[in-house]
Amino acid sequence: MKKMKKWVGLGLVLAMTAGFTGCTNNSATSSESTSDSTSTTKETESTQSSESTETIKIAVAAPMTGDTAEYGIGFTNAAQLMADEWNANGGVLGQQIEIVPYDDKNSSEEAATIAQKIVSEGDIVGVIGHFSSGVCLTAAPIYQQNQIIEISPSASHPDYSLVGDYIFRNNTVIKSEAAASIDIATQDLGKKNIGIISIKTDWGTNTSQVIKDLVEQLGSDVKVVAHEEVVEGSDDYSPAITKLNEAGADVVICAGMYNLVAPVAKQYKQINPDIQIVGFSNAYSQQLIELGGDSVEGVCFPVIFFSESQDEKIKTYVDAFTKAYGTAPSALSSQAYDSVGMLLTAIEQAGTTDSQQVRKFLADLGYDGVTGYTKFDENGDVQKDFIKVTIKDGTFVKMD
Amino acid sequence: MIGQQIFNGLTLGMAYALIAVGYSLVFGILRLVNFSHGSVYAFGAHAALLFVGMKLGIFPAILMSLIFTGVLGILIDKTALEPLRKKKSMPIASLITTIGISNIIQNMLTATFGSQKKAFPALFDFGVISVGKLQISWTQICMCIISLMLMLVLVLLVHKTKIGLAMRACEQNPKAASMMGINVNFIISFTFFLGGVSAAIAGALISGYYQIVYPNMGYMAGLKAFAAAVLGGIGSLPGALIGGLLVGVSESMAATFLGSTYRDCMAFIILIIVLIVRPNGLFGKKGITKV
Repeated sequence: MKKMKKWVGLGLVLAMTAGFTGCTNNSATSSESTSDSTSTTKETESTQSSESTETIKIAVAAPMTGDTAEYGIGFTNAAQLMADEWNANGGVLGQQIEIVPYDDKNSSEEAATIAQKIVSEGDIVGVIGHFSSGVCLTAAPIYQQNQIIEISPSASHPDYSLVGDYIFRNNTVIKSEAAASIDIATQDLGKKNIGIISIKTDWGTNTSQVIKDLVEQLGSDVKVVAHEEVVEGSDDYSPAITKLNEAGADVVICAGMYNLVAPVAKQYKQINPDIQIVGFSNAYSQQLIELGGDSVEGVCFPVIFFSESQDEKIKTYVDAFTKAYGTAPSALSSQAYDSVGMLLTAIEQAGTTDSQQVRKFLADLGYDGVTGYTKFDENGDVQKDFIKVTIKDGTFVKMD
Repeated sequence: MIGQQIFNGLTLGMAYALIAVGYSLVFGILRLVNFSHGSVYAFGAHAALLFVGMKLGIFPAILMSLIFTGVLGILIDKTALEPLRKKKSMPIASLITTIGISNIIQNMLTATFGSQKKAFPALFDFGVISVGKLQISWTQICMCIISLMLMLVLVLLVHKTKIGLAMRACEQNPKAASMMGINVNFIISFTFFLGGVSAAIAGALISGYYQIVYPNMGYMAGLKAFAAAVLGGIGSLPGALIGGLLVGVSESMAATFLGSTYRDCMAFIILIIVLIVRPNGLFGKKGITKV
């Protein structure tokens, strides 16, 4: 009995220490990041104030480190490019524009802290971000409550824009994108037996459900033969692939980012070289080709923005982006680029940075950007045309 | 389908077994769970990636990475663990040290190579053979053969050579072994070298199979391999093999019948059950209590 008490006591002590270290870790990192960003903003403030008046601040909140860092850094770069263009023409309302990046590590906990921080900052006009739908859904209510405009260049979960009237997105809802993916699978590739492999996140589960519903509505002899959910970040997808293959799938729709599509393509083609793989626009990234190599040849997906386009406006933008950052912009980065443009245009039209006024003008804005013509509907959603893209000889090309 | 899934599981299990061998080797001699082994495995994979990128050819590159990772094993022992042994610190100090080393290696890898996933060239990519309904890729076959060969070499080394005799002597009683003229510190370093080499072989093979390399790759794989080592009876090489295969197959089965979310906990559920029934693992010897 005595011995048992000792063990229970030891267990409790361990649990407490674990809890404490957890807490201290968190607060330490968050206070670190806070002090970091405040010091940088203070620095820039002091340098700015010596030459001109205050700046107009736009936050970019997205993952800057970790597995999805590529997207967050793309957002920041694109936002900075747009801000630089405006600044070169005298800024907006006679003030210079400043992009303030925040790293949410693509985690909901981190995003909530950052949203609170942005709110308490007090002088941030709008937020471009966050990246994944689940993270957006945590942060959006905080922005809505405090009347700060959030435009996500990437969220596609239907619930996101329903959070409130300050919440916008410059990305299509998943339903229209899923329809485009199914269209590629059934019309362009002419396949009938669809397999779905999706990541087990809010977005992934919802997307796979949307795909199933849409296929059912099609009604013809097209059907979903199997659906497998996988944990994001595991390396071994062979059990799921074996099941899809046994079910007789001849096309697989991959609901995940490049870090799912590339390994799935590799492992699937080892057992069935003829499989066709269709992805979503969030797989459109140079990393997909680097990671997937030969296996991702022929992978297709719908995108809103295609950097190889011959359009004059897109070409100048792509050239400017490539010159500044060394790589061509991805679709989502370009959506971030347009998001900043829309926010700035709305501020200019409103003639003030008061978020109530800006929101009104933003909601009525029709913006002709590099990702097509954008007009928000009553929810803050957009409709856009899709371009079908595939990978051929190691580069992204338009499907014909 | 079940046949195919079992085979998938066996391949995965071979990978775990390869890593588990490293835990068993070090535990056998030092009675120390070397938690840095997962990171050493990730290091081996990155070293292989680096040398393959230098266009030395696949085999010289892998050989280089084996030596490098083996040296890293010695380095870990000499810099962090040997001083602790000399000071006769508590065993728990060494255990915590290995966890610390694991983090150091992992962060160094992140700092040098970046945290993103990187492509690794496919090794032994000679296509697929079909046996009945089974589809087996050459990569899987080569992985199994090389793992078995490595296991055989290690068992022979431990049981048939002079240095193996010295290793077994150190395992039984380090003090007596050193009185008989065995350089115990050298033997321990040699064991760490072997551990590093086996980790590098595992790293190169598994990366060649999944064609993906990243600094965190050793975390989950290391934990599951540790579970496999304990399951088979830590300190026993055949135990590591059987334990690894058991974990691999059960994981594959869990993913098939329960869904992918259950696969990661499967290794640990089995581990707990086996430990309740057989506290020393499947092949473990009854512990000798040393006073």
